[in-house]
This record gives sequence, C-alpha cells and structure tokens, in this order.
Amino acid sequence: MIPIEFFLMFSAILFVIGIYGIMAKNNAIVVLMCIELVLNAANINLVAFAAYNGDIMGQVFVVFTVAVAACEVAVGIAILLNAYKMKKTTVIDDLTELRW
Amino acid sequence: MFIEYTWLIPVIPLIFFVIIGLTGNKTPKEGGLIAIIGALASFVLSVLVVYEFLTGPAYNGGVGYVTDAVTWFSIPGGFTLTLGYYVDGLTCVMLMFSSLISLLIFIYSIGYMHDQGKRSRRYFAEVSLFLAGMLGLIISNNYLMTFVFWEIMGLCSYLLIGFWSFRHPEGDAASDNAASAAKKAFIVTRLGDVSFMGGLFVLLYAFQSLDYVNLFDPAAIAAVDTNLIVLATLLLFGGAIGKSAQFPLQDWLPDAMAGPTTVSALIHAATMVKAGVYLVARSYPLFVQSADVMLLVGLIGGITAILAASMALNNMNIKKVLAYSTISQLGYMIMALGAGGYMMAIGMKEGNAALIAAGAAGYTAGVFHMFNHAFFKALLFLGSGSVIHSCGTEDMREMGGLGKKMKWTSITMLIGSMSIAGFPFFSGFWSKDLVLESVMKASEYGPEGYIFMIIWILGVVTAFMTAFYMFRMWYMTFAGPKGHATEHSHGESPSTMTVPLMLLSIFAFGSGFLILFGLDGIITISPDSITGAFIVGMHEGHGAVHYIEELFTNPYTYLTIVLALLGIYIAYLMYSKFSVNPGKFNKEGESRLYKALEKRWWFPQLYDWISWKFGYGIAKGVDYFDRNVIDGTVNGLSGSVVGSGESAKYVQTGNVGNYASIVMIGVAAVFVAALVLIYYMGGM
Repeated sequence: MIPIEFFLMFSAILFVIGIYGIMAKNNAIVVLMCIELVLNAANINLVAFAAYNGDIMGQVFVVFTVAVAACEVAVGIAILLNAYKMKKTTVIDDLTELRW
Repeated sequence: MFIEYTWLIPVIPLIFFVIIGLTGNKTPKEGGLIAIIGALASFVLSVLVVYEFLTGPAYNGGVGYVTDAVTWFSIPGGFTLTLGYYVDGLTCVMLMFSSLISLLIFIYSIGYMHDQGKRSRRYFAEVSLFLAGMLGLIISNNYLMTFVFWEIMGLCSYLLIGFWSFRHPEGDAASDNAASAAKKAFIVTRLGDVSFMGGLFVLLYAFQSLDYVNLFDPAAIAAVDTNLIVLATLLLFGGAIGKSAQFPLQDWLPDAMAGPTTVSALIHAATMVKAGVYLVARSYPLFVQSADVMLLVGLIGGITAILAASMALNNMNIKKVLAYSTISQLGYMIMALGAGGYMMAIGMKEGNAALIAAGAAGYTAGVFHMFNHAFFKALLFLGSGSVIHSCGTEDMREMGGLGKKMKWTSITMLIGSMSIAGFPFFSGFWSKDLVLESVMKASEYGPEGYIFMIIWILGVVTAFMTAFYMFRMWYMTFAGPKGHATEHSHGESPSTMTVPLMLLSIFAFGSGFLILFGLDGIITISPDSITGAFIVGMHEGHGAVHYIEELFTNPYTYLTIVLALLGIYIAYLMYSKFSVNPGKFNKEGESRLYKALEKRWWFPQLYDWISWKFGYGIAKGVDYFDRNVIDGTVNGLSGSVVGSGESAKYVQTGNVGNYASIVMIGVAAVFVAALVLIYYMGGM
C-alpha cells in the first residue's frame, strides 16, 4: 500500500500550483482551470483519507465536490463569456470595472 | 351641607371655559352669557359656603378651618400630594370679592367687547379660565395645588394681555404692542414662579408634605430647622414679588395695560396680582418665624409703594396711571403684612401677647386693604374703560371736559378716586390709615425698628402722591376744557357698563365700613393660646368704637388726611383751575427727575440690560457648547468613520488576482497562527 504521505504531498503540490496560477496568471480561463486544480487537490486528500480510514464518507463527499465544481465552472465560464462580449478580452488586468 | 361642594367653585368656571371655547359662537353674546352664568354660579356657591362656614361649628369654637382632600398621587418615600379645599376666614373674604367683582366685570364686558365679533368667544373663554384659576388658588388646601392654579393664572394673563396681539401700533418694545407686553408679563412673572417652585421643594424637603394643615402645625414648624423655613419663605416671597408686581419685578404691570381694559380690571382687582398678597397672607404662620424676613417684606412693600406712585405722577395714559396706582397699593398691602408679621415674630419670641395682637392688626390691615382695593380699583378700571370706549383714546391730554358727556362714569370714578386717595370715610381711608398705623407701631420694636419708620415716611409720602395723581387723572379726564377726543366721543356708555360701575361705586364707598361691623374678626390671625396653632378669624370684631377711637385719636391720621386733601387741592389748582402751571416744577418736562419718571426709573432698560448681558450671554455660551462640544463629538465620530472608509477603500482594486492574493495571505496567516498556537499549547 502506498503510504498516505505520498498522497498528501501530491495534493499539496497540486494545491500550490493551483494557488500560484490563480494569483499570477492573467488569463481568466487559466485562472478557472487553476481553481479546478485547487479543488481536485482537496478531492485527492479526501479520497486518500477515506481509503486510509476505510470510511466511505470521504468518497461520497468527493462526488458532491465534483458536482459543485462542475456547476461553478459553468457559472464562471458564463460570466467570462458575457465579460468577453462586453470587453472583447479575458485578460484579468483589464476587467477591473468593479472597484472604488 | 354646601361646604362639601367648595371644590365646585373653581370647577364651574372651568367647565364653562371648555363650553365657551368649543361652542361659544353659537351661544348668546358669543359666550358672554355663559361666562356670566358661570361667574354667578360660583358667586352664589361662594356665598352659601361662606355663610355656612361662618355660622358652622368649625368657625365658632372649632379649629377655625374646614378642609377635605382626596389623594392626588404619592411619591415613593412618603410624600402624598392631595387635591382638596381649605376654607378659613381668609378664604371666605377672598372668595367673596373675587367672585363678585369678576361677575360684575363679566357683565360689563358684554358692553365693552360688543364690537369684537367672533373674537369675544376667545375673550370670554379665557376670562372664565382666569376666574377658575383665582378661585382654585383661593380654595387650595396645599401649596402644589396653589402653584397649579397660580400658573393657570399666569397663562391666562399672557393670553388676555395679548388679546390684541395683531396690533403693532408703534414698535417692538413691550410698551408698544400687546404681543410683546404679554410676553414680558409672562417672562417677568415666570422669574417669581421659579422662585415659588424652589420654595415648594424646600418645604417638601423640610416638612415631607405640602398640605396647609401639616405645614401650619406648630409642632411641625418647631421640629424643622428655622433656616430652612427662612429660605422657604424667602423663595415664596419671590413668587409673590413676581405675581404682585413688587420691586424689582414691578415693570410688567404697566405694560400689561396693552390688554382690554376689562382684563386690566380683572388682573388688578379680582385676580392675578392679589394672588401674591394672598400667598404671603396664607403663609403667615411660616413667615412669622423670622422677624428679618418680615422686615424685608415690609421694606419691599414700602419701596414698591413710593416707586410706583412716583411714576404715576406724570404719566399721560389713563390706564397706566391706574396701573402704577395698583402697584403702589399692592406695596401698601405687602408693607402692612410685613409690619404685622415683624411685630408678631418679635412678640412670639418674647411671649408678648400685646405685640402679637398688634401684629394681628397689621395682618388685618393688609388683607383689609386688599379687600377694599379690589372694589375701588375694579371701579376705576371699569370707569377708565368706559371713558376709553367712548373716546377711543387712552391719552388724557386729548380728553378733558368729559364730565358733562359721561355723567355716571364721572361720578362713579370720582367716588373711586376719593376712595383710593383716602378721603375720610371712603373705604380706602380706613384701610390705608390702618396700614400706616401698623407700620408706625412696628417701628417701636426690635433693633431694626427704625427701618419701619423709614417705610412709614415712604407710605405717608405715597399717600400724598396717590391723592395728587388720582385727582390729576380725574381732572384731566372729566374737568377743564373739552379736548380733541371729547368732541368725538360717543357720550355715556350702555347700561351693561354703567350698572356695574354704580354697584361697584357703592362698594368702593362702603366696603370700608365693614370693619366697623366685625369684618376684622374674620380677617385676623392669631396663635392659639394653648396649642400655638395659627387661626385665621374666630374673633369678635373690635367694633366701630375701637376703630373710630383709634384712628381719630391718632395725630398721624390727621396728617394723612391733610396730605390727601392737599394733594387733591394741588391737583385741582393745576389741572382744573389752571392757576398753577405744572410745567413750572419740571422745567416744562425737561428736568432730570421728570425724564427719569418718564423712563420709569430706567427699569425697562435695566431689564433689557440684564437680559442682554446675562440671558444672551448664557445663551451664547450654551450655543457655543452645542455647536462645538456636542456637534463636535457627533461630527468627529462620523468623520472618523468616513475618513477610515475613505482610506481603506483603495483595497478594492477590482483586480481578481489581488483579491485572491489577499485571501491566500489571510488563510496562510490563520494557518501559521494556528500552528503557533498549537505549538505553544503543547499539542501534537
């Protein structure tokens, strides 16, 4: 059996990559993808702990998370499409209308 | 039988006030008839109550008063305040003349106010309330109730003096228009009212009660610190100074002449200004605890008497002359009460029964003068109202020669003038000489007695001045050549006005004789020989022989008679025969004294100065505090919120990446903090 540290390490790397992408990337599509990365990092943790503890609850939870993530991406891309219609761009630095 | 219904006496006019106020225009004479019925009902009930009281057991050998009360409200801590009536000799006399004179004035008002149309509803409603205030004050059984009715009268005087508030004939000063005069009357008397209220607080603190029965109980008085009583009486006297227009708050009364003349008559004769004198007379058991307080009372009375009389000497306004004479006569009453109380206070300290009796005579003189003054002053004011009604002016220079056109008015006014001047056997003569005699007697006792000698001299000079200015008024109005206004006058007033004048002139002549038939037995005060409780009345009158003997064996009586006749004669020479030119004595109105009198000894200026310096100064200070401290706190608070928001808003860049970064930094910070916490708690 693969030790749990491997899973945790893997999910941490995935998480950090996602965070880096959210913070540093300028393209909204990429940012959305990075959010998916962060979510999946969490999912891996859940699945790993579920397997490790012999408890099905973690896996059930992941199914819900995947469903929520799908919805979230749908909404996110819809917003982006509308933003693109208005501004003809998906560059985050240019989408700064909602501010002081 | 009737005495249980004493409480109805003020309630009747009060109800009629509401009725007239609501439906007056639909009733005959715009509510005038209802007002008269109310006053008549009060008068009849007063007569019945007085008769029953004076023939009842309480007065003949009992405690000397009848009182009953219901609880009004209680304050935790043992204070119970009541509503009720208190009938004794003083109440009886006050009830009689207040209700009778008010009734006559109301009847007279029908004629006087006939051209006021719808506005007379307001007038009749307010005078009914005024009467309710005075009658309520008279029958009150405690100081709080007295104070309530006292304030009702203050309100009514404000409303009635300002009856013609829409007239602005000359300017904004109080002497120029009714609205300002009403305001001045209200504010100046308010100074006294505040003092009165302070007195109530002191009394409540000292006695735990405000009921007369508890306050006048000698055991209760003995148990209380004398200094507290002195403080309370001084404060109560402050109230009397305001209401009865005594020095230094006398200046509102002349300006109050801006109201209708009937209102002046009501204020001066039957209600309002009598309330202050009544308060002193009513509180006598407390006042006589200190001779010094009584000395002050007498001194204020003396100063007021001469000050007001001097200002009447050269006034050209018929009503203002009468107003000053009222102030001056009120000074006499206060003077007599002060002198009597002074002797009584010393007598009680020394256990000298003769001195206490002399003090009681002073009290009698004061109350008796109030009684007589009510009649002749009501007569004089109503007479002057009749003249003004006919001529349309108040300036005596434009009158003159009215005697032929207004026979009844001139005759009745002559009776009133002779009465106030102290012409022998007219009512003013009896009481004025009793007042002066009491003051004279007071000067013989105590270390400060010489002050009463000064007051006596002031009083005698005032008597001379009174005779002069009253007859100056009479001659200027009714004698001499016909003036400008006389030519255009309407002649004699209608009978609703002349009949009350005739009735009042009978009283103005004859009310003085009542003292020869035992009235003094009712309006005297004396400590009971066993219990020490003060009892008003319950004495056999001294009778005619005593008073005639006392007055006519006293050389000073002849002095005042001679001075009064001299004053009348000088007025005759100056204003009827014109053989002496009054201008000779005042450099044709240019002398300094004449100007001082014309400017009322600069009292209006003094009031203005005080108001500007103190009132306006305090107002400015309060304004500064409000604008800077209170507003500053509020504005500073909101400003700091706005400012911090202003500086913090730049965090909202609109860039999603920035937001994400901040969230991450926050999460990282929380995570690190949690780790540190766990490490230090010794976990893991």
